[in-house]
Amino acid sequence: MRTDGRSYSLQRRLLALMALGFAALLLIISLLLWTYARGAANRTYDLLLAGAALSVLERVSPGADGPSVDLPSSAMDILALAPDDRVVYRVFAPGIGQITGAEDLPLPPAATVQATPVFYDADYGAPFRFVLQGRQLNSPSGRLWVAVQIGQTREARRIQQLSLFFNGMAGLAVVSLIGLGFVWLAIRRALFPLRQIEADLRARAPGDLSRVEGASPREIGGLFEAINGFIARLDRNRALTETFIADVAHQTRTSLSALQGHLSLAVDTKDPAQMRGRLTRAERQAERTVRLTNQLLANAMVTHRSDRATLRPVALKPVVRETLAEMLRDSRMRGIAVTFDADDIADGQDVVLADALSVREALRNLIDNAVRHGPSDNTIDIGLHVEADRLVLRVEDAGPGIQQADRARATERFTSIARATAGSGLGLAIVQAVADGHGATLSLGTSRLGGLAVAIAFPRPARAGLAMAATVIVTVLALLSPGWANAQTRLTVFSATDTPAMAPLVERFEALNPGVDVDYQDFQTLALHQAILGGAVADVVISSAMDLQVDLVNRGLARPLTVPEAAALPDWATWRSELFGFTFEPAVIVYNRAAFGPESLPKEHRELANFIRDNEVALHQRIGTYDLRGSGIGYLYATQDVVQGLQAQRMTEVLGRAGVRTYCCTAEMVAATASGDIAIAINVIGSYALALAEHDPRVDVHFLADYNLVMARSAFVPTRASNPELAERFVAFLLSEDGQRVMATKSQLLPIRPVADIETWALRQMRAHVGSYLPIRLGPGLLTYLDRRKREGFLAGWEASVGATP
Amino acid sequence: MRVLLVEDNDDLAETIVDRLRAEGHSVDREADGNEANELLRHAHFDIILLDVNLPGKSGYDILRSLRARSDATPVLILTARSQIDDRVIGLDAGADDYMVKPFDFRELLARCRVLVRRRSGNATNVFAAGTLSFDRAAKRATVGGQDADLRAREVQLLEVLIDNLGRMLTKEEVADKLYSFDESPSLNAVEQIVTRLRRKLQGSPLVIKTARGLGYMAYVADED
Repeated sequence: MRTDGRSYSLQRRLLALMALGFAALLLIISLLLWTYARGAANRTYDLLLAGAALSVLERVSPGADGPSVDLPSSAMDILALAPDDRVVYRVFAPGIGQITGAEDLPLPPAATVQATPVFYDADYGAPFRFVLQGRQLNSPSGRLWVAVQIGQTREARRIQQLSLFFNGMAGLAVVSLIGLGFVWLAIRRALFPLRQIEADLRARAPGDLSRVEGASPREIGGLFEAINGFIARLDRNRALTETFIADVAHQTRTSLSALQGHLSLAVDTKDPAQMRGRLTRAERQAERTVRLTNQLLANAMVTHRSDRATLRPVALKPVVRETLAEMLRDSRMRGIAVTFDADDIADGQDVVLADALSVREALRNLIDNAVRHGPSDNTIDIGLHVEADRLVLRVEDAGPGIQQADRARATERFTSIARATAGSGLGLAIVQAVADGHGATLSLGTSRLGGLAVAIAFPRPARAGLAMAATVIVTVLALLSPGWANAQTRLTVFSATDTPAMAPLVERFEALNPGVDVDYQDFQTLALHQAILGGAVADVVISSAMDLQVDLVNRGLARPLTVPEAAALPDWATWRSELFGFTFEPAVIVYNRAAFGPESLPKEHRELANFIRDNEVALHQRIGTYDLRGSGIGYLYATQDVVQGLQAQRMTEVLGRAGVRTYCCTAEMVAATASGDIAIAINVIGSYALALAEHDPRVDVHFLADYNLVMARSAFVPTRASNPELAERFVAFLLSEDGQRVMATKSQLLPIRPVADIETWALRQMRAHVGSYLPIRLGPGLLTYLDRRKREGFLAGWEASVGATP
Repeated sequence: MRVLLVEDNDDLAETIVDRLRAEGHSVDREADGNEANELLRHAHFDIILLDVNLPGKSGYDILRSLRARSDATPVLILTARSQIDDRVIGLDAGADDYMVKPFDFRELLARCRVLVRRRSGNATNVFAAGTLSFDRAAKRATVGGQDADLRAREVQLLEVLIDNLGRMLTKEEVADKLYSFDESPSLNAVEQIVTRLRRKLQGSPLVIKTARGLGYMAYVADED
């Protein structure tokens, strides 16, 4: 039985096969599950799209100059239920044209607008899911269709799909493992008969070569038979070995007895001449015994080495040549003509798998036989030739040869054909053993010279293809230095925040990152929005106009950041891991202390309009607010008030009648209040107001009791940032405890995270009104009032009331 | 011949010593490797018969230190192992010949004679075997006192053969030794020179044996 080759476990193999089967099954199921999960996630989130579409369609109205839409907040709020998804939308009238939204949204392949919603996937910079739904309107010019198209990125869908998929797969995996467990048990059970055989064979005495008994399952009946057959052969082989040992014992003992006999006769002989004769015979007998011993050892050696493991590729030509050169030195060979013919062997053609020592021994025996049995002037021709797929070593001589009839038994052990010149009777048996050990065939015949021709035909190895040395070309890429020294030290920050407010933060960041130079550029909120849309390249974009920031991020212009500090932020202050709020700035009322006492001011928003009307004379042209056309933050506060249900129309009317004055910036507005130019300023950024009021006794800050809108100044890193790693570090710094502390102590900005051990006047003021703060949430909900129509409508109403009063 | 036998088996040593003495040679015998090595430091012999497995120091070690002292005394290794490696190690270490035990005494004596002759031929400039006498310096060979009248190439060949008595030389090896680098050696020419030399040396005991496909070997036909 062959024992080469690596051993393996049947059990493991079966188990692996079954596991493979299970894996294939799992793969198929996982494909189905994947599709199912996608469908299920789509169905869930398509409801959001459908709801949003419906709420938009509801607000579509026919107008004098075509249909129009007033985008409802609810639409964006519904979409924001998928919190991290970007949103795009479009309202249009087929055949008439665009009404509002993004014009370039992809339509479904067969786009017919109908009343039932159509859902489809399309690529719009990123994978998007769209809904297209229409509504028929009765307009002055007849019935017409208006369609709304809303798209959402697939992130929430993808997360739900993954969650469904992995939950399903986890269950399946458990089932598979249990299944495999059963398979394992079954295999163990099935392999039981094999273990029985093993136990039987192990328990046997070394000499016990009886059959393995027992009923075997049909599947391993063949194995049973093979084992029993092998045992039978082993038994026969053992019998042969025993015979051989008996033969050897017989031969050597006989030979030694003869030697002993001759010697003892010689010792007993008195006559010197007779003694000499006895001794001569004793010497010849000794020679025979020596030869017999040598041959027995050679036979044992050759048999031992016939194990295939000792065979190596050997070129036979030099082996034969050396053996012959060696033997020719023997003085017995002097009269013998020896030729060696290997002329037609090309280089490498004589290579066979062989054991050189055994081949040498075989050849030695063949030559020895020729010398022994032939005349002293014998001719021995040795040839080495390629014949088809064999390499044939042929030894021919001019001796007496072997009769055809005797050839078969000539290779048996202890058989000598020519008794007169007999050697040990092992010569050809050794040659036979060598041939057997090499898988070669031994044939005896009659030589051209009249004597014996012996041929050993070695199988030639199948032409082994030259191992192609794979040429591995190692290409060493020279790493080009990207010039960090210059590129990384400059960080461009575009910010709609007063430079003095940000300066302490920038200084601290520069101190923490030696060699970094922050290029800080101050913008108005709208200008900053336009600049980024126009393709300006910045590393960090900061603005107080949360809606404009959300709009930029919703357009896919921000890159996701890994900022561990963001975990400490409240939920409303981050969106998509791309936009991060870092301040907490309520909208407050600033008033001139000379004009009003704190008690006379309104307590809640709904009292504000009454308060203005009641003090119409005192407040005429003495109310300040942001110019909503130029101030992003003013627009944000005003629109959010509307969302909160404030009767906006009434409020703007009241303000208009009171001759409200508009300002571009907080500082000017507060300064005007302090100087008494105006008595009260509404919806002022609280952080600036508190900072100014702290040091100016003429003004004070008033919080309302029902709610105070809170804005968070937010930052993101544009996808096109030239220094994204450093930019990410800057954002992380703004959110870090260190950055927040700098904000609380050295800047008028108010930190979003609670800062321990810091007590300032502004913080005290802030803390006094905890519970009244209503943060504005970063997310698609802020997109409603950025809708072109919506904005135009809102500003038109505002302008009509407030006018362009400076 | 002055022979040193280094053999630890007393019985075998006795038979060899007796045999050599019966042939008229003077024999010293050592049984211990170290002692043999010491002896060889200051005594000179014509031939050394060296067993491999010895107490004290192995035959190969003795041989190596002998050759390390630039002592070119012919050494014949006696080994009980017929493995090929033994032979290679022995010849690599500087042995001139080897025999596997048990050996025929006649064969042993014949080999010894070949070695001693080869050696003396090299050492003395005059090689003599029976009726043949070859004077290397004069580049002259005589057979039974008659000048063999050898040509230059034949003298060269005779020198090569005497240097390699009892060794099989391939035709190519002979050609290499006869012709200089820039002469183009012709194997046919070698055959012709061998044939001529053999004819001119007829009557001398030096036999040049040709084995087709193997090469040439010269030996001195002995009485045996």
